[in-house]
Amino acid sequence: MNVHKISTEPALLSLTSVAQAIAAKRVSSREVTQSCLDRITQWQLRLNAFMAIEAEAALAAADAADAALAKGNVSGGLHGVPLAHKDMYYDAGKVVTCGSKIRRDFVATVTSTALQRLKDAGTIRLGSLQMAEFAYGPTGHNSHYGPVHNPWAVDRITGGSSSGSGAAVAARLTFAALGSDTGGSIRMPAHFCGVTGLKTTYGRISRAGAMPLSQSLDTVGPLARSAEDCALLLGLMAGADPEDPTAIAGPVPDYRAAAREPIKGLTIGVPTAFYVDDLDPEVARILDETVAVLKREGVDIVQVELPDQRQLTAACQLVLAVEAAAFHKRWLIERPQDYGPQVLMRLQNGLAIPGVSYLEAMRWRGPALAAHLAAVAGVDAVIAPVAPVAAPTLAESDVGNSPDAEAVIQRLTRFTRSINYLGLPSLSIPAGFTRGGLPVGMQLIGRSFDEAMLLRIGAAFQRATDFHERMPKFA
Amino acid sequence: MTRPTAKEIKAIADVAGVPVSPDVAARIANSIGPAFEGFAPIAGTLPFDLEPATFLLVQAPRVAK
Repeated sequence: MNVHKISTEPALLSLTSVAQAIAAKRVSSREVTQSCLDRITQWQLRLNAFMAIEAEAALAAADAADAALAKGNVSGGLHGVPLAHKDMYYDAGKVVTCGSKIRRDFVATVTSTALQRLKDAGTIRLGSLQMAEFAYGPTGHNSHYGPVHNPWAVDRITGGSSSGSGAAVAARLTFAALGSDTGGSIRMPAHFCGVTGLKTTYGRISRAGAMPLSQSLDTVGPLARSAEDCALLLGLMAGADPEDPTAIAGPVPDYRAAAREPIKGLTIGVPTAFYVDDLDPEVARILDETVAVLKREGVDIVQVELPDQRQLTAACQLVLAVEAAAFHKRWLIERPQDYGPQVLMRLQNGLAIPGVSYLEAMRWRGPALAAHLAAVAGVDAVIAPVAPVAAPTLAESDVGNSPDAEAVIQRLTRFTRSINYLGLPSLSIPAGFTRGGLPVGMQLIGRSFDEAMLLRIGAAFQRATDFHERMPKFA
Repeated sequence: MTRPTAKEIKAIADVAGVPVSPDVAARIANSIGPAFEGFAPIAGTLPFDLEPATFLLVQAPRVAK
């Protein structure tokens, strides 16, 4: 068969494009996998993005995928596409460290539902990606395995906790990666690394087989190069799961179709306060420029007055601290010396919160969500910065368990935690660059289970801009 | 709701079975204080007939739609 071979480095294609190219036999899975492995070899020493690289196994799986395709056997929509994910998704027979010393040798006996669904679609495993210890850190520092470095400026943080996912997608080492978001852990790496990250609605994707941090706040989602790629992945992973009763039943929308819809006539709200307060001037400028692009695309921009975000953030802190401490209590008793200082400090915080305070925070979630939904009744989405600053340096954010640590963490997560408390979806999109060349993301915040609207707006924004297509150079 | 003191935190941690030193208790009090203060306007004000599962009920209509 004569096919038009692709002319670019395969690893530089988008997820959607590479899947189509493999299916059409314009490139083999082996060529694509080798291209990713070449880039991983080039970048890994600089970034520390991978926890494990499984080159031989990946190439063998790629050969098997190519052989199957030659016989007309296609396993799914991502047949032969190599991916790597945050090292907290259980994969039966594989070591899953969760970024920790405690689980350095932990071999999973089950495969997480989200990962299995991607495998069923035909993906190949490149290895596993670095992360903050037990997903409990917003910077990307890890006292056991070292920090992950931002590919745009290696002396700066990636954000966390999905630090390796953000760096690897930005540097084009993997076409996409699973992250998890309990307090901002997908959106912050997406923001700091200049990629697209989708924090899904609580209940949209099964959490079965994903390392828990806070059962009321944990969400699974992708980091990828575009909203279109996030739509593809969400469609594959979403839906009910008998292994996770919190995964919502009902039909899964056609997210890819939604991402192709125009946005003219939609209404987007800009918060009147909190998300626009105390911004770095460059972040404020990029927010204004993002709003201007959306206006040009025919979106009506209005101001929205949201409920008090400080109260929501405080409630989130209470819930997260207690649930994380409860998960870790046995190890806090038996192996406290095996935690990094900051993670140990934060887990100990949860021991001090009375049960009544925790339950009050949980009981308030329903009324708080209802109040939020009432406040945004007139808009299709809200736009806001992901963080008030671009990526800080590794040095200035390496606060360990110092007295300043909690303040640094609070500043970075200021605009993300309330969204987790409300269980809402939020799409972080690359929206511009500082004059120093650091990426800045904006988050589109939607209604519960309305990821389709966020992907629609995000994809339209990306058709009108090229921030998501820019990539860091290996200088 | 007032923020717990270091002394109270030490007692709570002891009861939880994970004792902490006075220094750690003081550090925890400093760390979690802002969360208690931020939630203070809500604490003690919630109606009687309200349980955590209300959150799922508020989410649900969107799914049905």
